[in-house]
Amino acid sequence: MEHIVPKKEWTVAIRYNHWLMAAAIFVLIASGLYIAYPVNLSFSDKITEMHDIIFWHILTGICLTFLFVWRVYLMFFSRFHADWKDFFAWMNIKNSLKQVKFYLLISKEPPEHTHLYGPLQSVAYGGLLIMVALIVLTGLILTGAAGYKAGLTGIMYTMVRPVERLMGGLASVRLIHHFLSWGFVLFIMVHMYMAFWYDVIFKEGTVSSMISGVVFRKAHK
Amino acid sequence: MGQNADYHSTVSKQYRQLLKQCKVNLDRNDQELPAAAEDFGELLKERGVSRRAFIKWTSLMTGALMLPPIFKPALARAAEQFSRVPVVWLHFAECTGCSEAFLRTSYPGVADILLDTISLEYHETIMAAAGDQAEKCLEQCLHDFPGKFLCVIEGAIPLGNNGKYMRLGPKGKTGVEIAKEVTSKAAATICIGSCSAFGNIPAAKPNPTDCVGVSKAIGVHTINIAGCPPNPVNFIGTILHYLMFRDVPPLDGLGRPVWAYGKRIHDYCERRAHYDGAEFVQQWGDEGAKHGWCLYKMGCKGPYTYANCSQVRFNDGISWPIMAGHGCIGCTEPGFWDTMAPLEKQIHEDTFGGGQATIDTIGTTLLGVTAAGIAVHAAATACRHRDNKSETK
Ligand code: HEM
Ligand code: HEM
Ligand code: SF4
Ligand code: SF4
Repeated sequence: MEHIVPKKEWTVAIRYNHWLMAAAIFVLIASGLYIAYPVNLSFSDKITEMHDIIFWHILTGICLTFLFVWRVYLMFFSRFHADWKDFFAWMNIKNSLKQVKFYLLISKEPPEHTHLYGPLQSVAYGGLLIMVALIVLTGLILTGAAGYKAGLTGIMYTMVRPVERLMGGLASVRLIHHFLSWGFVLFIMVHMYMAFWYDVIFKEGTVSSMISGVVFRKAHK
Repeated sequence: MGQNADYHSTVSKQYRQLLKQCKVNLDRNDQELPAAAEDFGELLKERGVSRRAFIKWTSLMTGALMLPPIFKPALARAAEQFSRVPVVWLHFAECTGCSEAFLRTSYPGVADILLDTISLEYHETIMAAAGDQAEKCLEQCLHDFPGKFLCVIEGAIPLGNNGKYMRLGPKGKTGVEIAKEVTSKAAATICIGSCSAFGNIPAAKPNPTDCVGVSKAIGVHTINIAGCPPNPVNFIGTILHYLMFRDVPPLDGLGRPVWAYGKRIHDYCERRAHYDGAEFVQQWGDEGAKHGWCLYKMGCKGPYTYANCSQVRFNDGISWPIMAGHGCIGCTEPGFWDTMAPLEKQIHEDTFGGGQATIDTIGTTLLGVTAAGIAVHAAATACRHRDNKSETK
């Protein structure tokens, strides 16, 4: 006999963090695209469109900065499950190969569920968090350069400014920022596809799990 | 309110103290510096610069140095001492454009008089001496004014082939050797132009001679008056600061004086309102160009460039590139020839691998590939996992 047991997979904090991050990233991609290819929209009598959109981009960017810090905090200090170890699931090479075969539809046997994330997921999510870190870093340099450097942004700017030199000047910082934004666009496509794919293959409710926090594992009695 | 008044009185007290120190410094300079060749007041008269024009110029310079107006008389005194500072001007890998820009300006003003009368003990382009004689001049200067003269360097230093890509003078010394010898005896080293500051065009890819900026080549601290060519105001202001305070001005992380390179071009650009309002020139000579709209889409690099051109302009404030209708090319930033490319297009239109591919064409291609990959994978999954109902545990 087989029945389904709900298992708490994601804590409330992780879920809020995830969807806020996702929302922020959507806003940042849209506004960032505008900053790179500005057009005169004439959507109001106010004649400060570019300025306003940069302002909202930066404001959302600062939100993403905090969300990122929060996510890293949870990674190490979550009271329920500090998951930093799970980002190293890929270290199990045998399991990783199994995962690749499973994804490439060569084998139908999924890898063992050793960590919170599968081996390739650990690479993807780990890499993604690094990408968030980099885009936040370059974004904060651009923010400071754009003149937003009073109070907190001022402190952050002082911390990140030396990186401007390492990257080869503001122009390179901007180029890297633009480069990374493509990474996000590509990631989201694959990420969402894989979420739905998991849902279809495992029928554990992966997509809803990021909302409800619960996956439905099948258990044998 | 009371707090505000307190603040103001504290600040003005500090400025008055600074001014007192400044006067002590100028008195010391008067005793220590060699006598002037020509009387400055006479010179101004001779060149037709009125008293009024001179005072206007001191206001401009005092403001540019971010000092309050009470410093104007001190600055005027420093200007009188300007031509008494012994200067050694070295040329390395460069085009001499900086010297040209400084010494051959056509507009007669105070700045030009200062630059014309600057006490050049050694300057290869304009000195009469040549060969051994020239070498003697240099040795004489190092002997006469050890630790007193300013070393001004124009041009990058090639390090490749043990520095042998650059040999100078009758003894065939390498650039590295000369730079080390002279800077070690100088009171301070000022790098004129982005070449000596950061390597610039001689160091642009592929840089076969391995050119680098002076401070990187010989490991000394330099005051970097970046620009290609730099604004004479920034050079003169730095020397005036040096005379008034007997110290180099505060520098940023790249050795550039903060008073001149603390803000971006974009921050004080006269076209900025059009940027904020999303009014852009789309094509050379279009309606927007006629209206003086923002040049961001024509590749203006003002948002990435720290310099004061938009504040002080060139040639006594007559004009500057963006006013003339071309975007900033970012010449005060390290490696600008490579990092700011393409100069007349936006930064993200840079191409990779020598082809036509920009970030956005690469990104769009990857997007298509990913979408196709997903479609194929989805279809394959549908076939392969057709029969699976409860396969997993
Ligand atoms: C997923 C996240 C993000 C994406 C997709 C994104 C995208 C972009 C893009 C495409 C540009 C235009 C670059 C160009 O012109 O080539 C831009 C500019 C900028 N971004 Fe972001 N960005 C993100 C995150 C951030 C963050 C976290 C911050 C700050 C904390 C930030 C601050 C800025 C600033 C200040 C600019 C320059 C605006 C100006 O011209 O003044 N961005 N971004
Ligand atoms: C289809 C719905 C989605 C599902 C089921 C889903 C599920 C997940 C899961 C399970 C994780 C790993 C959990 C974690 O490490 O916190 C994750 C991470 C992540 N997702 Fe999603 N996601 C979805 C859509 C999106 C979208 C639309 C975005 C961005 C616009 C996004 C951005 C992220 C980011 C940035 C991470 C990595 C950061 C982190 O580890 O917290 N996700 N997602
Ligand atoms: S900085 Fe520019 S103008 Fe000056 S010497 Fe170098 S290339 Fe010529
Ligand atoms: S012309 Fe250049 S510097 Fe001026 S506002 Fe436009 S982008 Fe900025």
